[in-house]
Amino acid sequence: MSVRRLPFAVLAALLVFSFACNKPVPPEPPVPAPEPVVTPEPPKPVEVTRPEPTPEKDPVIDPLDDDLLIAQQYAEENGLLGTVYFEFDRSELSPAARERLAKNAAFLKENDKFVVTIEGHCDERGTSEYNLALGERRSNAALDYVTELGVPSSRIRTISYGEERGACAESSESCWGKNRRAYFRLTGRN
Amino acid sequence: MKLSTRTVFPFLLAALCLVGLPDSGRAQDTEPPPAQLPPEGRVQITVEDNQRAKMRLAYPAPRRPVSASPQLASAADELDATLRNDLRLTGVFSLQGPRELAGLRLSGDRANDFEQYRSLGNEMVLLVETKVDGARLVLEGSLYDLGSREAILRKRYVAGTELARQMAHTLSDEIVLYMTGVRGIARTSLAFTSDRDGDGIKELYLMDYDGYGQRKMSGHRSLSFSPAWAANGEGLAYVSYYSGEGASLYWVDRETGRKSPILEETAQALSPTTSPDGRRIAFARSLRGNLEIFTIDRDGAGLKRLTRSGGIDTNPAWSPRGNQLAFTSSRNGSPQIYVMDLEGKNIRRISFQSKYNDGAAWDPDARYLIYASRTRDGRRFDIVKVDVETGEQATLTAAPGSHEAPTFSPDGRFIAYESDRSGRKQIYIMTADGEPVAQLTNGSSNFGPSWSGYFDE
Repeated sequence: MSVRRLPFAVLAALLVFSFACNKPVPPEPPVPAPEPVVTPEPPKPVEVTRPEPTPEKDPVIDPLDDDLLIAQQYAEENGLLGTVYFEFDRSELSPAARERLAKNAAFLKENDKFVVTIEGHCDERGTSEYNLALGERRSNAALDYVTELGVPSSRIRTISYGEERGACAESSESCWGKNRRAYFRLTGRN
Repeated sequence: MKLSTRTVFPFLLAALCLVGLPDSGRAQDTEPPPAQLPPEGRVQITVEDNQRAKMRLAYPAPRRPVSASPQLASAADELDATLRNDLRLTGVFSLQGPRELAGLRLSGDRANDFEQYRSLGNEMVLLVETKVDGARLVLEGSLYDLGSREAILRKRYVAGTELARQMAHTLSDEIVLYMTGVRGIARTSLAFTSDRDGDGIKELYLMDYDGYGQRKMSGHRSLSFSPAWAANGEGLAYVSYYSGEGASLYWVDRETGRKSPILEETAQALSPTTSPDGRRIAFARSLRGNLEIFTIDRDGAGLKRLTRSGGIDTNPAWSPRGNQLAFTSSRNGSPQIYVMDLEGKNIRRISFQSKYNDGAAWDPDARYLIYASRTRDGRRFDIVKVDVETGEQATLTAAPGSHEAPTFSPDGRFIAYESDRSGRKQIYIMTADGEPVAQLTNGSSNFGPSWSGYFDE
């Protein structure tokens, strides 16, 4: 900053000095002249482009009508759709899981255009093959509950990934807990 | 797969000429085997005494052509290294190689040299010579009994340099057959699953029994796993998710590499096993989330249900005699191993020791089942072997690491399995009584092996 300012100060001092010395020389406009020529040009295109895109689309689109990934993200961020977690080696629904599934079911009933796939997942501690069976149980436990709550089963598919698609890769209790899940994925629209 | 099945195997049969060596002044080795070998030339290698029964074999550096192209020279090197590794992996021999034999005063006089080999405790010597026949490689191998100085076995093979490994495997298998009465497994292979393609993709791979020649089989860029060889080597069944319908069943033919759907439907189909004749597949099929065991023809006809229980029934293993299935069921609360017939009748529980057992596989004589059994602390799995008739049980593995998905070699002498003892899951082999033999894979995660049968029968 100070380095930049320095030549300006010097210039100003020089100008004062030159005014003080040569009174009869009045105009030195060629220096400021180019400045206004440069500045008016850029604002014009900016003014032209600004008004066009702003008013039309953004607020109108319901994120739930957007791309499925956007809809998924919106639903998850607003707590409309969420993941259900399970106990080690189990596929029974806990009270917390039922609570979560009730919200998921309400969302799916309200938004009856969505087709959803419930993915069953496991932590890494079982065998690969038996975990595929356990994941299938988990996805279907979630399916049974939301259909009981009135979501037509025709709009739901289930798939088991066993331990093959972990959400978390560490070998720790907290990570295992995150992997023992039934994940609701929006996979289509009717 | 395509390359190996289409070109290598038929070519091998045509190219490997099993010819007796015209040895100067001595007749073909049709005479009775040397004195220390039991009648019929068989050494009975049993599980209990296989350490003591190891034959002490000298295998000096092979004789080489003086002037060979670099290609032939490197093929000869590869052949030597492969044969040495094969003989070591057999577990039949205690091997002395060039290094151990370096101090011997060899003169080229056979009687003297044999005495020299014998002085180090060797019972036999394998003399190998590699030669050149045009652009092809010639392997001549002679196995001598150092007591009688008689040739026990002589073999000669001619093939292109790209088949150097196969030539070595073939000689090793012949030697093992002679010594044990059971064919060697050096030309068998293992199918397995690998995540080496990244992006969450799992593909089926195939490798030679020694871990060489790893090649992709599935190529669906999806989740593909659970390969299950037909014992007759025709091909294998597997699971893939690539259709978008979830887990479906496919078949890949070994000769052509062609893949065809067995069953594609919205119901999940998991954990296939192939009947010994390769015609039917048993698998677990989801009925509203509950897996039950079914059988089906390879072309998708003749679906038949075998189990009816409220518990999970999954991961069947077809017995080598074709008349039974071992499987995993949680019908009594926790996953355990059971056996049933092909009507789903005569169900008998096999495992009792742990609260979590899965992944049963039969030995080729249908005497033993091996499976993964969760340890008491619940932290890992060990491979357990159970005598199906007596219930007698042995634990074959130990900490560190968790070990699962065992599969028997077609001669019943080895078990391949997956273990995370070195971090990620890798495939290892051990003897049928749990002696470590080799690690076959490394790098990315490799798991779920299925050992092939013999291919050329």
